[in-house]
Amino acid sequence: MKQYNSIIVGGGVSGMTLALLLAANGRKVLLLEKAPTIGGGLCRFYKKGIPFDTGFHFTGGFVGTTTLHDMLTVLGIRDSIRPIFLDRENSNQFLFEEEGRMLSVPAGREQCCARFESYFPAERAAVKRYFQMVDRVIEATPSFDLRKISISPDPLDEDHVTLQHVLDSLTQDKTLQAALSVYCMCYGTRPNEVSFANHARVSVGFYDAIARVEEGGDAFIRAFRSAFKQHSIEVRCNTTIKECLDIRDRKVGRLLLSSGEEVTADECIFTIHPHEILKILPRQHFSKAFWDRVASFGSSNGFFSVFGAIDSVELAADAAPSLMSVVPRADVNLLMDPEYVGPQALAIFQSQELVRDKAVRVLTAFEPSYFQQVAFWKDSRVGCRPEAYSVYKELHASSICDRIRQVLPEYKDSFKMYDAASMLTFRDYLSTPDGSAYGIRQKVGQFNLFGKLPLRNFYAAGQSAVLPGILGAMLSSFVVARSILDQQQYNTYVSKRLCN
Amino acid sequence: MTKEEVISKTNEVFEKSFEIAPERLKPEAHIFNDLGLDSLDIVDLVVGLQQKFAVTIRDDERVRNIRTLGDVYDFIYLLGQEGSVGGSPSK
Repeated sequence: MKQYNSIIVGGGVSGMTLALLLAANGRKVLLLEKAPTIGGGLCRFYKKGIPFDTGFHFTGGFVGTTTLHDMLTVLGIRDSIRPIFLDRENSNQFLFEEEGRMLSVPAGREQCCARFESYFPAERAAVKRYFQMVDRVIEATPSFDLRKISISPDPLDEDHVTLQHVLDSLTQDKTLQAALSVYCMCYGTRPNEVSFANHARVSVGFYDAIARVEEGGDAFIRAFRSAFKQHSIEVRCNTTIKECLDIRDRKVGRLLLSSGEEVTADECIFTIHPHEILKILPRQHFSKAFWDRVASFGSSNGFFSVFGAIDSVELAADAAPSLMSVVPRADVNLLMDPEYVGPQALAIFQSQELVRDKAVRVLTAFEPSYFQQVAFWKDSRVGCRPEAYSVYKELHASSICDRIRQVLPEYKDSFKMYDAASMLTFRDYLSTPDGSAYGIRQKVGQFNLFGKLPLRNFYAAGQSAVLPGILGAMLSSFVVARSILDQQQYNTYVSKRLCN
Repeated sequence: MTKEEVISKTNEVFEKSFEIAPERLKPEAHIFNDLGLDSLDIVDLVVGLQQKFAVTIRDDERVRNIRTLGDVYDFIYLLGQEGSVGGSPSK
């Protein structure tokens, strides 16, 4: 029977980060991935040679709090990940359709604050106070310094109040409230559910500087794969844990893999969706309270996405990426309500890709979506969907294309759609339980699955653990790695890598 | 809320959420040594109590000092005295 120090379940960015951190610190690591390939939401797909991003389009964290920059440095893959910033005027815009207002949001926290003050002169004090509160949360959050992270840092007062509560206390201007909460759609939890602290922790990266990454998620996957070879990390795709065996004193002795092989490990870390973790854990070793808590976690939104390109040599020469958030109503809670049926929000992201040395301007549009919109066809799989589903998908994609041409009339004749994806598509291609983009909804007062599980050698990490998105997913892995490794060893390792 | 109500509702959390027989639920019972909970179960105990008493329990010194079932009763009773317990408790 093969013996490992660490078995990691889930080959997304959290699992890959953990595998590398633990192996670089001398542990023998096996990484398991249920899908045919590692990468999760970082994976891209190709149509006519054009690469399209699926789950990873842009991020913060390269400047300002620089958490992502630091994590990549520690992992030794920073040089392989090249950010391209959305730092031009009009690179990042919010279009409020009902009000007929376009806000251009610059890069830089101070610049953002000043710009919002100029857009909402009667609400200058509210804008200032909001950004001061964001700053305070960031300064008081130890996990933004990789040397100071821990599983249970003392929560801040801002962890106990919702974003909506704070917005209501600051301003009655609905457009300003919406402008300050647009980024909720980039992490999947509504303003009246997310804590102000977590909103600040995710949004600050976007305020400081939004960046895409050259070659998108492929750049990450390639860099991780190469590092895995150096550190002799074993990766098994199409494989997961089938059964936990020899459980004594709340410790699992052996693991039966879906391949039929039995292995042992000092610890096993799950970076997959909490509901998927429940499917693997032996029910009789957990309290009903634990089971009920995890089962009650709600899903974040996913997206209905349209993937296309601009057929114009002149426009293709533009290498600068851009993001436009189309907000049909100045009410983000409403727009993110699964029951809402009015005009939907839409994010339109553009970037330049090289296809056989030729520049192509790629355009991806994503509209927030919930699983119930496709639940009727939930038993169908890729390649054998019913006709009614195909009609739904075609009509929906076509309506999104119309909206793209409406808000970007300059692309009226040059925009061409290459593919579309519903939440079912994302579910089946990215192996998530319901196609949601950000794991569970991280609500105020909720206790997520993070760190040690009620089995002594089982742990949970991933984007449902501390913060959603790539930053939160990677950060959770650093925290769990620190608790698995000797703390002195972790601190020395991280400090040394950050100094180099 | 009377002390008796606190005791009865707290016991319900231990019975239903942790499947502990009612006869074991005595004030002097140590929640780890006698009732078989683990430090890793504390999060779920807190969640269960929060729902039962419609209260927000923050991770503070008082929670960390809880050892016996009687300590849990006292802690919840004290929260009630402070006016923190309210809303509509879950059934």
